[in-house]
Amino acid sequence: MKKILISGFIAGCILFVLSYGGLYLAVRFFPSLFVEYNNPLFNSDGSRDVLFYLHAFIFSFALSWFWDRFKSLFKGMFILRGLEFGLVYSVIALLPVMWISFSALDITVIMVLSWFIYGLIQAIIAGMVFAKVNP
Amino acid sequence: MFYKNILWICLLFIALTSFMIPRKTGAIAELKRWVINESSSLCVNGSTNVNKFACEIPAYDQTDTLSLVKGKSDNEIALSGNIGLKIQGFDCHNSMMTRDLRKTLKESQFPLLHITFISLSKLPNLSTQPELITGLVNIEIAGVHKRFEVNYQISQDAQKVIHLLGSRDVNFSDFNLIPPRKLGGMIKTNDKLSVTFHLKMKQVD
Repeated sequence: MKKILISGFIAGCILFVLSYGGLYLAVRFFPSLFVEYNNPLFNSDGSRDVLFYLHAFIFSFALSWFWDRFKSLFKGMFILRGLEFGLVYSVIALLPVMWISFSALDITVIMVLSWFIYGLIQAIIAGMVFAKVNP
Repeated sequence: MFYKNILWICLLFIALTSFMIPRKTGAIAELKRWVINESSSLCVNGSTNVNKFACEIPAYDQTDTLSLVKGKSDNEIALSGNIGLKIQGFDCHNSMMTRDLRKTLKESQFPLLHITFISLSKLPNLSTQPELITGLVNIEIAGVHKRFEVNYQISQDAQKVIHLLGSRDVNFSDFNLIPPRKLGGMIKTNDKLSVTFHLKMKQVD
């Protein structure tokens, strides 16, 4: 349990910096990709900002538990284990969620693809951290 | 006795009229009436940290009248009239932005934006050359009234159509509105909006 929490926390901190740092830079350097977010579908009054920024930790703790249960299935170097872990998570969890999101919400293909890639990269980084901290 | 009666009549007249306020005959004289044409429009320009937007109400679907009334001084022209614009009429040329603006302006609660004209700095000399004047208006958005000085350009074309172009910068916060912010504040709409309107009017007798 302690290992799950520690590795989850470490991965959460790393993802927090990389995810929001990356998002900030993407908004700054590729602003046209974010025009579609001016949409009433997205919360606009700032009331859920804390929840938005907690996402990295929620994601990391959930994946940390998943890693602890199934880490024996991922073999090889830590990079390879992280990569496979990220792909498994993306196919099992992300793809169906993105599919239903696109089918039900008024969002664009680019938006859904970017979310999928964003989640995939997050899961690969988290997998590499877990492979190092909780091998 | 005759002179005494005359004196009493004079005194009575003075007593009766001394409490009356003399009325300046020209003080509230209506000078002109302008009927607003349907092809009048309003445009709101704003920006976010990722794009700029221009939302417009391309056509005014009512026929309202503006009345010019001369004020106490020669330089003061009272303008009376009100236009009510449907928030639903806004078009930002992007369906998502259009819906976002309508939501920000609380369309479901306050479906109309009102502009009430109050005064003009001077009586315009209508000609084909645009004349720069200023005036006061009261703008009501989302149930909040705010008075602004507006810069106008006024002219009259060959078809006797009066063009009144008004422009003014306002802020979302002037009307207690929160500029939209998305993704935890990564995408922010700037508080400042530039409002321009173009009224096309015909003078009526």
